[in-house]
Amino acid sequence: MGDNIRAGLISGIAFGVIIIITSLIGFFGTVSALLGEFLFDPKTQPAALYSLVLILALLGLWAGIRAAKPVGTDRWSGALVSGAVAGLSTGLFVGIYTLIIGGFNARGLDIRGYLAQMSPDAIRFLLFQLPPATAALSYFLLFTTTGLAGGFLAKTLGRGRLKKANQQLKSKITELWESTSVAVWLSKFPYTQYIVYGAIIILALLLPISLGQYWNFTLGTVGVYVLMGLGINIVVGMAGLLDLGYVAFFAVGAYTVGLLTSPQQLSQFQIDFWPAAFLAIVIAAITGIILGFPVLRLRGDYLAIVTLGFGEIIRILVRSDLLSDFTGGPQGVRQIDGPSLFGISLTNDRAYLYMIILAIMLAIFVTIRFKDSRVGRAWVAMREDETVSQAMGINTYTTKLLAFAVGAAFAGLGGVLFASRNQYIGPEDANLLVSINVLAVVIVGGMGSIPGVFLGAFVLKGLPEIMRQLQDYRILAFGALLVVMMIVRPEGLWPSQRRRLEMHEEELPLEELEETEAIGALEAALEESTK
Amino acid sequence: MENNAPVLEVINLHTYYGNIHALKGITLSVHKGEIVTLIGANGAGKTTTLKTICGLLKPRLGEVYHEGRMINVLKAHEIVSLGISMVPEGRGIFSRLTVLENLDLGAYIRTDRVAINEDLDRVFSLFPRLKERQKQVAGTLSGGEQQMLAIGRALMARPQILLMDEPSMGLAPILVESIFETIKTINQEGVTVLLVEQNALMALSIANRGYVLQTGQIVLQDTAANLQINEMVQKAYLGME
Repeated sequence: MGDNIRAGLISGIAFGVIIIITSLIGFFGTVSALLGEFLFDPKTQPAALYSLVLILALLGLWAGIRAAKPVGTDRWSGALVSGAVAGLSTGLFVGIYTLIIGGFNARGLDIRGYLAQMSPDAIRFLLFQLPPATAALSYFLLFTTTGLAGGFLAKTLGRGRLKKANQQLKSKITELWESTSVAVWLSKFPYTQYIVYGAIIILALLLPISLGQYWNFTLGTVGVYVLMGLGINIVVGMAGLLDLGYVAFFAVGAYTVGLLTSPQQLSQFQIDFWPAAFLAIVIAAITGIILGFPVLRLRGDYLAIVTLGFGEIIRILVRSDLLSDFTGGPQGVRQIDGPSLFGISLTNDRAYLYMIILAIMLAIFVTIRFKDSRVGRAWVAMREDETVSQAMGINTYTTKLLAFAVGAAFAGLGGVLFASRNQYIGPEDANLLVSINVLAVVIVGGMGSIPGVFLGAFVLKGLPEIMRQLQDYRILAFGALLVVMMIVRPEGLWPSQRRRLEMHEEELPLEELEETEAIGALEAALEESTK
Repeated sequence: MENNAPVLEVINLHTYYGNIHALKGITLSVHKGEIVTLIGANGAGKTTTLKTICGLLKPRLGEVYHEGRMINVLKAHEIVSLGISMVPEGRGIFSRLTVLENLDLGAYIRTDRVAINEDLDRVFSLFPRLKERQKQVAGTLSGGEQQMLAIGRALMARPQILLMDEPSMGLAPILVESIFETIKTINQEGVTVLLVEQNALMALSIANRGYVLQTGQIVLQDTAANLQINEMVQKAYLGME
């Protein structure tokens, strides 16, 4: 019983504190307004209020389940006590909190000077439009009942029962799928794979026509991140070199094309877009090699720190007074020229999306070719064990340089397209956050996997665009997503086969069984040979 | 057996780890077709000697010659292409790659696909277990199988000289015997072997000659047969009174 009460208290206090903090930054107001529009008829006045109660009730339920799950699900009393204590303590915390903020309102104090989101209106909303004492009591009752219900739920669901049900469902679905004639037909037909690829390519090429300007622009941004994701996938995912200054190569590509095509800077050297783009990619790759020379002797964490510094050096250089005659300093480079083909200007968002899609296809082609090549194998070996790779005859130095150069070329290409589409590149487009975002794309998507890069880019760059209304909380959601991902699915959303194996090495009961069997067989064979 | 010039010659080798003087003037030679063993206790410098020969460590003083050519100035990957392959200590397989990928990496320096496939067949005939498990991730193999893989991988470079670092480490006695049988077979097929071992009894039973290493120096060298009956060796390394 003591354990149950303690678990309940811990869960209750944790939830109470989290609810108070998130409410202080105005999270509940925004989310309930959004959810209200979505779930209920927005014309009826209390739609947002309904959704607020719904969210709070779900949180209470969660607190109860969390409290009851690890202990005492064997006995009814234990589960209920845990849930109830969790609900009670959450309710107590949040109740006192409502009393306090309600008190401010009643006295006419405006606390927005300290807490920007806590306007009198917002506080009244959090109080369910009730007087403070009544609101506090309703909070208390709401959390106590939902906490109790959570304990009840935890007991009925039981430990692991949900997981089992999920697995059963999954196996049933695969069974059903395999028994259908479509699956049989697909597995018999040898070109299925190519047809799927073809369909994806055709879809990708049709997409820009069917979309409006806004979506073409947004997808273009996502596409640039896909391109950079594919690049860093080679450096980090395949070769295992943690590069935190990846944005440097993006900046080099973007600034090169900017300087060569903008009439503002270096006008005597102004050239056409296509040769400028080609030069920009080559220079980005060369920058990769130049950076690589001194840096690649370092391993692991040291490499990460030094590349981080390099990324910042590039950003500070381009915004410095020293180079402002060329780079425009903090103002950046403007009027960057776009491409044209056979006299037709390709400077609308649709044309850029096409170019980005083509660039991605090229990058995928290059990635696949590398993956299956000698160099690709050397990268994988080097990531596994650098010393042993040397003993296999791999020149780890040039192999690393090549990975850096290829990755840098991809980033340079991304920079070229980005800068010429926006007709502008500035030092703020090259800040550290870009490197981190690109790395996050690969981590969330799944290290070393091409479809994973797409998924990661859509989740991290596409979803925030879709959820524009949530804008202030994007970073919050982003952080929460990363934390949850690392706990629940550390290998990424769509990991490569190899990565999946690495992350779930402990989940190989079948192989283990075979191993003991193997030793038996080996011994038998040896005995036979000695006879 | 011992004809004229040695295929591998080490002269007065001094290697340091930072300030620690690990090798204090090692001199040894290996002739074509021999099995030479380097025995000694933990920390005597056996592994350091091998690592210096194959270029993973650089000597501060002394030279390594391969067929009369000084190789201690070369990088590790260049030495491999001279035909000197290493079976690293603790097997050093790529545990998250499959057996086949491991063997493929062994042949990294070669581009003659047909001959590589021949060698793959040869490795599979030496170690049939590996053939059965070629698609399996190497880390899930048993210790003995991993050792087979490490040897097979070194053979994939079609080496002239095989440097082996404690192939018996951590294996059941029955497996040790079979591994040493294989080493003998490999040697009979024409590969010169320099074998580092703690299991002196087993090593001397298949070797032609041996060196005894103590705290970074060679204290004894003789034919394997003589070493087996040497009083000091018997006392210190063979556990006989």
